[in-house]
Amino acid sequence: MRLFHRMRLTVNGRSHELLPDSSSTLLELLRDHLALNGSKLACDRGECGACSVLIDGELSYACVTLAAACDGASVTTVEGLASPGESQTLAPLQLAFIAHDAAQCGFCTPGQLVAAHALLERNRLPSDDDIREAMSGNLCRCGTYPRVARAIRAVADGAFARSDSSAT
Amino acid sequence: MPHKPTRDGKQASGFVQTTVEVEGRSEVRIVEIPAFAPIPWDSNASLDIVGARVPRVDAEEKVAGRARFTADITRPGMLHAVILRSTIACGTIRTFDAAHAREMPGVYEVLGPGDAPPATRILTRKILYAGQPVAAVCATSERLAWRAIQAMVVEYDVEPFVATFAQSVEPGAPKVQEGGNAPKQSPLVISRGDVEAGLAQADVIVRREYRTPVALHTALEPHGAVAEWDGDRLTVWESTQGIFRVRENVAKALGMPLSKVRVIKDYMGGGFGAKNGAGAHTYVAALFARRTGRAVRCLNDREAEQSDSGNRPSTTQRVTLAARKDGTITAIFLSADIPLGISGWEGGPAQFYHDMYACPNVRSEERFAYVNTSGMQAFRAPGYVEGAFGLESAMNVLAGVLQMDPLALRLRNFSTRDPRKDRPYSGNNLRECYSQGAERFGWGTRPAPAASTTASRLRRGRGLAAQVWPTGGGPPAYALARLNPDASIDVLAGTQDLGTGARTVLAQIAAESLGARLQDVRAIIGDTQSLPYTGNSWGSMTTASVGPAVRMAAEDARRQLFEAAATMLDTTPGALEARESRIIVRDTDRTMTFAEVTKKLGDVMIIGKGSRGPNPPDTAIMTFGAQFAEVEVDTWTGVVRVLRIVAAHDAGRIINPTLAESQLEGGILQGLGYALFEERVLDTRLGVALNTSMHDYKIPTMADLPAIDAFFVTGADATANHIGARGIAEPPIIPTAPAIAAAVADAIGAELPEIPLTPWRVLAAIDARTV
Repeated sequence: MRLFHRMRLTVNGRSHELLPDSSSTLLELLRDHLALNGSKLACDRGECGACSVLIDGELSYACVTLAAACDGASVTTVEGLASPGESQTLAPLQLAFIAHDAAQCGFCTPGQLVAAHALLERNRLPSDDDIREAMSGNLCRCGTYPRVARAIRAVADGAFARSDSSAT
Repeated sequence: MPHKPTRDGKQASGFVQTTVEVEGRSEVRIVEIPAFAPIPWDSNASLDIVGARVPRVDAEEKVAGRARFTADITRPGMLHAVILRSTIACGTIRTFDAAHAREMPGVYEVLGPGDAPPATRILTRKILYAGQPVAAVCATSERLAWRAIQAMVVEYDVEPFVATFAQSVEPGAPKVQEGGNAPKQSPLVISRGDVEAGLAQADVIVRREYRTPVALHTALEPHGAVAEWDGDRLTVWESTQGIFRVRENVAKALGMPLSKVRVIKDYMGGGFGAKNGAGAHTYVAALFARRTGRAVRCLNDREAEQSDSGNRPSTTQRVTLAARKDGTITAIFLSADIPLGISGWEGGPAQFYHDMYACPNVRSEERFAYVNTSGMQAFRAPGYVEGAFGLESAMNVLAGVLQMDPLALRLRNFSTRDPRKDRPYSGNNLRECYSQGAERFGWGTRPAPAASTTASRLRRGRGLAAQVWPTGGGPPAYALARLNPDASIDVLAGTQDLGTGARTVLAQIAAESLGARLQDVRAIIGDTQSLPYTGNSWGSMTTASVGPAVRMAAEDARRQLFEAAATMLDTTPGALEARESRIIVRDTDRTMTFAEVTKKLGDVMIIGKGSRGPNPPDTAIMTFGAQFAEVEVDTWTGVVRVLRIVAAHDAGRIINPTLAESQLEGGILQGLGYALFEERVLDTRLGVALNTSMHDYKIPTMADLPAIDAFFVTGADATANHIGARGIAEPPIIPTAPAIAAAVADAIGAELPEIPLTPWRVLAAIDARTV
């Protein structure tokens, strides 16, 4: 017997009314119902961070979050980091990831970016140890860690600010 | 020199025989001589875009979340397939009952044991390892397909099996393969000189045994495929390192002509050797798609990925190193045992022993054995990673016995020629790697050994190891360069970008060769239907194989562009040069942009064609490197922390230093995982792997990140090929584990015979220390 759960969800500033299977995860809702494919499924059990999203500002693993539990919540995915509209100006973290070559295959990158965003939202000036600890829940097999750390450090130090057009 | 170019660069037509080294194996190929040979880019070549630190051309798609991986491909009406896998290591399926599964709403089709065409070699009734595909189902959602899998009932007749090398080689052991438990080539003996004579010449002989674990690739993106039929034509979207090899596998398995199978790979989430061909997921998707008339997606879940997508096999290496007092090695002997799983190839540790040092007497005896576990696959520098741990660890022990600096010992045995085949190198800057790496690490200022034997809880140590890897690339590889009416340039080559940066470096090579701006050039890759052939992205081969073909295609396009522009500028093509998408009449102020030329040409197209020429005969094309590690060991807990790694590598010309350094760092971090954490744990009583999750199979996290100073010594290798580049992707993982192990040994004053260096192994080594 399948149950469905009517719910409201705001994703990247846009509100939706949805009717997911009550056992659906938030990740399924984002990928399969809303076609937001940036968040990735890599372990399906909250081990790797490829599905990292913000739920009401809290860093969460969407693969182990029940969709129904997010009724009324506001979710931010990697697609929501750039400024909205046709220009799609990339966020400072995204620019920093490009400049520091922090994406190799790019599969873990959306989760890395969301986790880094969450870190800088709660700690504007993280120490190197803060960065290492905050990012250790996001696995990368290509070995981009040094560059992810450098990109976060650069943004924390004020590089790639949105007004800084030279950063592009 | 059968393919020597004439003065004008034109070459005699015809075919020649050439040798290509892939993953340490030599392949002889008959290949055509390209129509012309570009002038090699040697160290003096003045290049602007090649060698520049430009950002990855596809970085924006990746950071914006727009890059489409296989799991992101959706087709109208697409169904989802899931594979049921064996829970036993060996036996025969007695009954299979999918009646309940078939009745579930949304379930379309079931493939049970024996239902797949024999040529696919999947879904057999005979089970040879835990995790082997038993059955599959496709349904309207992945969730429904999983529920249907849960509703299937399988009964097995369990049979005896072998889980370890020792069990496999025991007389009367259960047979894994019909032909027995030893592959045809086993034992594999490679020998040069006379080891006995070498031992007799020695002042010192070191004998040690080393053990390395089964390691899992653990790419973030699991294997996956989407299959869709259009009449008798099949399209497969696959996360793969080799689109043409997947095409060949699928066509063969399904009995189709090659040209009716199209394989597309856009983005992929890492491969590391495990994604070199089609797999059960590919065949399942294709078979269900044919039965249902729908597109079908089949993705491995993490457990399947960790238990049935290949691995680096374990090794036991018994090493004998003999040397004179001055450090000159007089004999190297290796006896090794390698359990392969149910299948695999002889990518053992021996070749590293033959390639690394100038020793006249080297002999290796490798015994391979099939066991009832998932088959091995190439994993980043297969064999050389394992071999380097054995030989380089023994070298560090030898240095201690001789009371010699480990770096001096390596310099003493530096080889000026390829010692395995007694042929010259195309280039070898290993000495520069040693010296520059040592300088940046501060090797010469290392503290006295006594410092590491003090009573403090936290102890630091240093170690080093070196690396060699055959990586010249080679033919066949083809490329086209197309100048569009809007003056943009498409480079077309059927290669793939694993995250290495192939899209970027091929675009750089084309832009440089054409005199175009990089932003005007786009590399189009990853489609067997519309792109010319290139081989798998394995063996660190892509840049050195496809790069020269791209350069030739771009130069061919530039020649045609100059001919067209010469008529417009009323001059001769020889008077023209191109820079930043602009043609300049030399020594004048007359110019035309590419766009002005293409506007006049209208829809008349310029298409350049390029191919990869043969390799230089009798030449060893190798990448080299040396890595230096500093660690801190907590002698109370056994926890090892790597503080820093300095890595110096020589891979000829570096097309994009930033991307290449990313490759070095990636290899080093995988090597760090191999040294400290990574080990598939097998329950040998059940034949089942116990740690098939990312929580239990530990790859490094950012918390484990040491300070990494990874760089290339400069120098183009114009002998290897005309772009001067050799491969870089695999080499950096090779020396990391032995360098770290040497540093731990230095810190605790005890040898480490087995990796990974988990806390209990480190504590055991401390306890076993003879004080």
